[in-house]
Amino acid sequence: MTDLSAGAASGQTPRSLTQTDARTKKRNAAEKRFRAYGMAAIAAGMFFLVVLLGSIVTNGVTAFQQTFLQVPVYLDPEKLDKTGNRDPEEMKKVSTFGYKPLVEDAVFAAVQAAGIETAFEDAGDMDALFSASAAAQLRDRVLANPDLVGETVTFKILASSRVDGYLKDRVTRDSVARDKNIDAAHLDLVDGMRDASLVTKSFNWDFITGSDASESRPEQAGMGVAMLGSFYMMLVVLGLALPIGVAASIYLEEFAPKNRFTDLIEVNISNLAAVPSIVFGILGLAVFIQFVELPQSAPIVGGLVLTLMTLPTIIIATRASLQSVPPSIRDAALGVGASKMQSVFHHVLPLAMPGILTGTIIGLAQALGETAPLLLIGMVGYIATNYPDNIASGFFDPNSAMPAQIYEWAKRADPAYYERAWGGIIILLVFLFAMNAIAIILRRRFERRW
Amino acid sequence: MYDTASRLEGQVSATDIKIAARDVQVFYGDNHAIKDVSVDIQDKTVTAFIGPSGCGKSTFLRCLNRMNDTIDIARIEGEILIDGEDIYDKRVDPVQLRAKVGMVFQKPNPFPKSIFDNVAYGPKIHGLSKTRADLDDIVERALRRAALWDEVKDRLTAPGTGLSGGQQQRLCIARAVATEPEVLLMDEPCSALDPIATGQVEELIDELRQDYSVVIVTHSMQQAARVSQKTAFFHLGSLVEYDTTDKIFTNPQDSRTESYITGRIG
Ligand SMILES: Nc1ncnc2c1ncn2[C@@H]1O[C@H](COP(=O)(O)OP(=O)(O)OP(=O)(O)O)[C@@H](O)[C@H]1O
Ligand SMILES: [Mg+2]
Repeated sequence: MTDLSAGAASGQTPRSLTQTDARTKKRNAAEKRFRAYGMAAIAAGMFFLVVLLGSIVTNGVTAFQQTFLQVPVYLDPEKLDKTGNRDPEEMKKVSTFGYKPLVEDAVFAAVQAAGIETAFEDAGDMDALFSASAAAQLRDRVLANPDLVGETVTFKILASSRVDGYLKDRVTRDSVARDKNIDAAHLDLVDGMRDASLVTKSFNWDFITGSDASESRPEQAGMGVAMLGSFYMMLVVLGLALPIGVAASIYLEEFAPKNRFTDLIEVNISNLAAVPSIVFGILGLAVFIQFVELPQSAPIVGGLVLTLMTLPTIIIATRASLQSVPPSIRDAALGVGASKMQSVFHHVLPLAMPGILTGTIIGLAQALGETAPLLLIGMVGYIATNYPDNIASGFFDPNSAMPAQIYEWAKRADPAYYERAWGGIIILLVFLFAMNAIAIILRRRFERRW
Repeated sequence: MYDTASRLEGQVSATDIKIAARDVQVFYGDNHAIKDVSVDIQDKTVTAFIGPSGCGKSTFLRCLNRMNDTIDIARIEGEILIDGEDIYDKRVDPVQLRAKVGMVFQKPNPFPKSIFDNVAYGPKIHGLSKTRADLDDIVERALRRAALWDEVKDRLTAPGTGLSGGQQQRLCIARAVATEPEVLLMDEPCSALDPIATGQVEELIDELRQDYSVVIVTHSMQQAARVSQKTAFFHLGSLVEYDTTDKIFTNPQDSRTESYITGRIG
């Protein structure tokens, strides 16, 4: 009491809590500013993300739709099976050139039957409307089912990329003026056919499951084979990088003595993680192709190169999650007489599992999207037109990979391929998102508290 | 307070030596943490290690089951014999040693597994049970000895980490006794416990003395006096005085011991 009155007497006024003093004001202002910066940064990030995803989707979504001509085709036995005994071996002698006139006639007949006005008088003029692959398409169908010969069957014939582009507003009357593949009269015809429902757009499964096509047939190109190439590479990466990476990290973290040598290894692993991926590509070229003489462009080589690239990521993630397991758990296990290995495998590893799995999946996702090292081992530019025959050829036969395929398409001159490159990016992103989702789910499932 | 201790005095001298340490030195790098410690720890006796913080009690305790092996920079010299065998002999497998010398740590550290699995883990890896019924028996016995059975018997599958701090520590004690060790090392087992749980653990220690040699590190003079028959006083890495608990607390020979137990250093 006496102290208080003495303080008041000496001129000290008690500090009010309702009035903020200058220091507090400054501090609060600084805090507000910092929050504003943070929110601005996040807003900018979100903006770019939306722009990115928006442009990918708007540019690429059209690749999932394809234009088809829906016309009845008369499968003339005179032309397809002269002997008349429907023997597939004999029918194989008729090449795609034998089928092309049938398609032309069928389209022309359908146009006339629908009463569409056209300047064209010859069925031969119709070939600008359908894909060069249409005859092969038809031939495959007939050879698979010889009994169709002699009947009139309605087929969905792949339209040419110009017709497809016209329906997707990529091709205009201006642009066809300089185009020798198609002219404005064809576009008029397509308008008429569209009104008569002879030309329709529908979902393009072949883009997802099909194989790459030559430069002049963008309407036929698909991602399927490149997807398989990526799949086989990921099998190699998962099969090698996960066990090697986890074993190396467990050894380094739990068993290895801490000395100069292990320090050196540690530094080098961190350095490896920062090495540009193209360096791994040239290493793969020198070691796996030129020295070990593995086949060029093969997913096995791509997988090995990507394994080298992914290992540091997995090792760093695994070591971090091993380190985050409290040492008291190890003491507890050793204290009841568990061996070092039992303590690691029974107690430490299960606790580190979510981190290890997340690291592995992130490493795999990185590897899946990697293009640069594939440039050097010949997986870019290879036209993947065939499905691998079996698992071994999946690993050893030349193939491409999803990002390499996208790069290849983006390089080609035809704007129809540009659209497909965007579509390919959508497929790649779907895979990456799926992998990240799996990482999150695994993390949730394995996560335990201690 | 010292009645129990004095009543047991005759027994103490009759029991034989379980652990014999001779000129033990421990270095952490350049830090000389244990200096020339020689001590005989008797069977079926509770021995208390007391001393100010950082004097090396835990370090010495961890030498007795070679837990210091896990610290890279730790280096041990001298000789420690258990039942006449040098535990630092090259032929000794530390895993076998730790099955024989159990340990309870200062901070409760149950495995993030079920209560049952926590206790069953040791017997499982040492092959102490043939059948599931055997294992159930062992777990029940261990939990009863740790005075925890009644509290957890209905939730053996619940996670051990979900128990309270005191229950967790008793779970760790149950885990240690489940492997049937011959020596039990306890590093401040009651530092996280309330007085009631402390009382239960002390009772348990007194019971364990029937079968085991128990070594306990404690900062509580009262606890040392209550549970132990022999007491060792450490100071700055040296063993200053080692005698019957009775004698240390009533008639210490060294002035440092006297200052410590009367609260003048520490
Ligand atoms: N892992 C370690 N690495 C390096 N030095 C250590 C380590 N553990 C203990 N020390 C050192 O050894 C000495 C003794 O430590 P110790 O833990 O044995 O003390 P203590 O008597 O158990 O103390 P407290 O009562 O506080 O637990 C201290 O100087 C400590 O710094
Ligand atoms: Mg200690």
